[in-house]
Parts: sequence; structure tokens; C-alpha cells
Amino acid sequence: MIRSIPRPSLPSLEHKAKWLSMLLLAVSLHVFEAALPSLGPWFKPGLANIATLLALVILGPRAAVMLAIWRVIVGGFLIGTLFTPTFIISMAGGIAAVIAMLTAWRLLPGITLIGVSLIGALAHMTAQFVTVESLFIHQQALYYLLPPLLLLSVVTGWMNGGLATYIVAQLKESD
Amino acid sequence: MVTLASENGSGQKLWRELWHWLKGSWADRMLLLVSLAGILYASQWIHHEVSAGPAMVDIFHDEVLLAQYPFPEAGKSIHFDAEGELGISEIVIDSEGVHFSSSPCQTQYCVLNGHHSESGEVIACVPNRILVTIKGSRKNGIQYDAIVE
Repeated sequence: MIRSIPRPSLPSLEHKAKWLSMLLLAVSLHVFEAALPSLGPWFKPGLANIATLLALVILGPRAAVMLAIWRVIVGGFLIGTLFTPTFIISMAGGIAAVIAMLTAWRLLPGITLIGVSLIGALAHMTAQFVTVESLFIHQQALYYLLPPLLLLSVVTGWMNGGLATYIVAQLKESD
Repeated sequence: MVTLASENGSGQKLWRELWHWLKGSWADRMLLLVSLAGILYASQWIHHEVSAGPAMVDIFHDEVLLAQYPFPEAGKSIHFDAEGELGISEIVIDSEGVHFSSSPCQTQYCVLNGHHSESGEVIACVPNRILVTIKGSRKNGIQYDAIVE
């Protein structure tokens, strides 16, 4: 006797398809950033965070958290850094950023994707330093590097937030 | 003239578009101000902490201070082999500053980082767990040439 497999609902399939397409975007940006000439040993423009921002707005908090985690895992697998210090630092930054962005999105009145992205960028950078200091190089002198890099994070966080706002507006227009 | 006018027009339109997407809300701008103020305060505090005394290069492996050197006179250089998790990182201190000349790590970010000579600057090799910091100001002059190893 053949038992029929329950067919998933169309909205659920649509949600999954959107999440997967955003994951692909995030992983592509993650790999692209890894291939970019380094702007400094600790600094990346954080383009992959745009996909997390889009997931937060379009698919909700749970999807955004899962996207941030899976982006680092798949990206790490593709660029060959899986389970290396780079992977651990990247994962810590990604999780801290998405939690900070979720909190800001929910709790701060009047904030837009630009402010959310700014907070995400700052949280990402700070979490990376805390991870390196607590797991790899146990020297507080490491934090001397933090202010200039946070300044760069402010700039890129703001730009990425503007870009995410533009993409969301275009997607809404096309719906 | 027409071309120039239309170019000016499209340029202005582009700036208006950019401003539209990047202006943010009042809350975003408040957040920006608070962030910048915090970063400025932190950098001032760090600068104050590290700029006292003559310039010294500290080389650490994890929590252990491996060596401490003043900057040498022009034309002279100090070579130090710092043993880390992966092997030996070669660090060179000369009148230009301090840099990693070689490292056993895969990324080579520490080597690519180049020379550093300013107070508060840091070069880190995370895979090899070696950290080089510069404390004190070169303007304060070298008052001693003690080496801690």
C-alpha cells in the first residue's frame, strides 16, 4: 500500500524558495568578499550582511538567524576555511550581528534598515575581536586596533543599509 | 553647452538619488552620532594609554611577553624569531618601524600588513598567535635599550 506524502503548502514552499535564493546570494557575496584584495587583515566590507538584512525584513527573524549561520558554514566550505580560526571568528561575528540587528529592529523606534545595518556592522566587528582575544590571542592590546576598524564598519554598515533599503524598495515595486 | 547642462542635471539627479537612499531616519542619524562619539572617545582613551614613555615594540605569544625592544638607530635592525602555534614568525624592527618578514600562517595577512611605527599600532598573526604592539611615542626618545626576553 502506497501512502501519499503530504504536499507542502504553496506559501511554505515559496518561503523556502525565497530563503534558499537569499542563502545563495549571501554565500556568493561571502565568497566574493573572500576573493577581494584585503582592505586590511581584519576588514571586509560586509556585503553578505545585506542578504541577512533582506531576510530579516522579508522572511522574518528566524530565517535571518538561520541564514547568517548557514552562510558562514557553506561559505567556509567553499573557500576552504571550515572549522579554522577564520571560520570561528566569522561565525561569531555573523551570529552577533544578526542578534544585534534583530534586537535593534524590534526595540529601537524610528530605526530603518540603515541603522539596523550600522548596528550589525559594529556588533560583527566587536564580536570578532572578543572572539580572537578570548580564544586565540589572549592580549587586551589587540583592542588598540578596534576604533579605526569600527570607524570603517560605520561607513560600510551605513552604505550596506542604504543598498538593502534600495533592494527592498525595488522588490516591493516589482510585487 | 546643452551636453554640459544635461550632464549637470544627471549628476544632480544621481546625488539626489544617493541622498534619498542613504539619508536614513533621525533615529539612524542619532545612532551614527552616538557610534562616532563612542569610537572617538575609545580612540582618545587608547591613545592616552599607549603614548606615554619612549617607543617600545612588545612581542607576545598568547599571554607571554616574548620580547620588548626599543626602535634601533637608523641603519640598524633587530631580527626576532617568535615561536608560535604553527612555527616561527620572523619579526624585523628597524628605523622604519616593525614588520613581519615571514610567517608560517596560510593567509600571510601579518606579512602583508607591512611596516608599523606609530604608538598604539598592532600587528597580529591569529593562526600563529603572535601579537606585536607599539607603545610609547618615538618623539619621547629612547631612554633605555633594555631587552626583555
